[in-house]
Amino acid sequence: MDKQEVFTNLIREHQALLYKVTSIYTDNKEDQEDLFQEVVFQLWKYFDSFRNNAKVTTWMYRVAMNTAITFIKKKKRRPDSVPVADVFINQSDYKDDVYEERLKLLYLHLQHLNTLEKGLIFLLFEGKSYKEIAQITGLSDSNVGTKISRIKKKLKTNMTKQ
Amino acid sequence: MELEELQSAWTQLSDELNHQKKLTNKIILDMTKQKYQNKFTTITKYESLGAFVCFAIAIFVLVNFGKLDTWYLQVCGVLTLSFLILLPAMVLTTLRRIKNIDILNGSYKENLKFYLKTKNRLLKLQQIGIVIGFIGLLFIVPVTSKIISNKNVFLTSLKKEQYVLFAITLIAMVFFCKWAYNGYLKVTQSAQEILQDLE
Repeated sequence: MDKQEVFTNLIREHQALLYKVTSIYTDNKEDQEDLFQEVVFQLWKYFDSFRNNAKVTTWMYRVAMNTAITFIKKKKRRPDSVPVADVFINQSDYKDDVYEERLKLLYLHLQHLNTLEKGLIFLLFEGKSYKEIAQITGLSDSNVGTKISRIKKKLKTNMTKQ
Repeated sequence: MELEELQSAWTQLSDELNHQKKLTNKIILDMTKQKYQNKFTTITKYESLGAFVCFAIAIFVLVNFGKLDTWYLQVCGVLTLSFLILLPAMVLTTLRRIKNIDILNGSYKENLKFYLKTKNRLLKLQQIGIVIGFIGLLFIVPVTSKIISNKNVFLTSLKKEQYVLFAITLIAMVFFCKWAYNGYLKVTQSAQEILQDLE
């Protein structure tokens, strides 16, 4: 398999990961499309330097989250992008009002968190251990634990308010 | 809603997304290329609009070519047509070539070499366009004047206001050319950086 094929297979296999990262850091479809595209470009750019010495998803999370942070800092105008929305136009193939409502609430609560908090809670939701989160974010294990417990409290407070 | 419910909603979303493998190879590769191509999108839009205007004026001159009744006005007419047709066509062709560099295929060295060559050609065309734009006033004005108001400017002395208008046009052109050329330099430099990033 050539480089292009390996890369496209990798993106296809982990597209859900990219979709989720881009969805928590943006609040509209256009920005999400731009960010998705930017992440794919950055992954391609650093693909050669990825030497299999880290778990592929760890590397992808790291690149995607770093790109997202830079992206929201710039938050510039949108150039043309390849429509990701066509791919993920409906998160749900079946209509489930309760589920849709829960998703809305989920994103609403996530929007109240700052950039770092979003990233940490996202990784926790993804089932990552504190050690893995530390590897991806570059924080120490103990720092991850402390921050996550603060975020949980913050989320609980927000949820009880609403 | 409890924290556990958030977690469970997220898990449900994940499960669902994991079943949606809708990205095609083409979409993925297009995304990778798009960033580079976007650099030239605005320039291409302006150039296409400019080319459209030039071609429309060229057609107008061509249709009224018969009104140019002396040999020197006809020479001016031919020069005007060449300027209005050839230069925009060459710029658009070069832009298309530079935009279509396949950054995913070919070696980095080959791509960068081709890019630099095409970029220099594009900038050279812009420089030529600027110079001809100024010189062009000498042959475009007589042609338009003859076609629109049937006046041969070579035989008519210009009024003071016309000289003033001519001077204002020249000054405006200087600023416009400087602005447009700087825009080109920025875009091409930025696209070059994207290519270099891919090293």
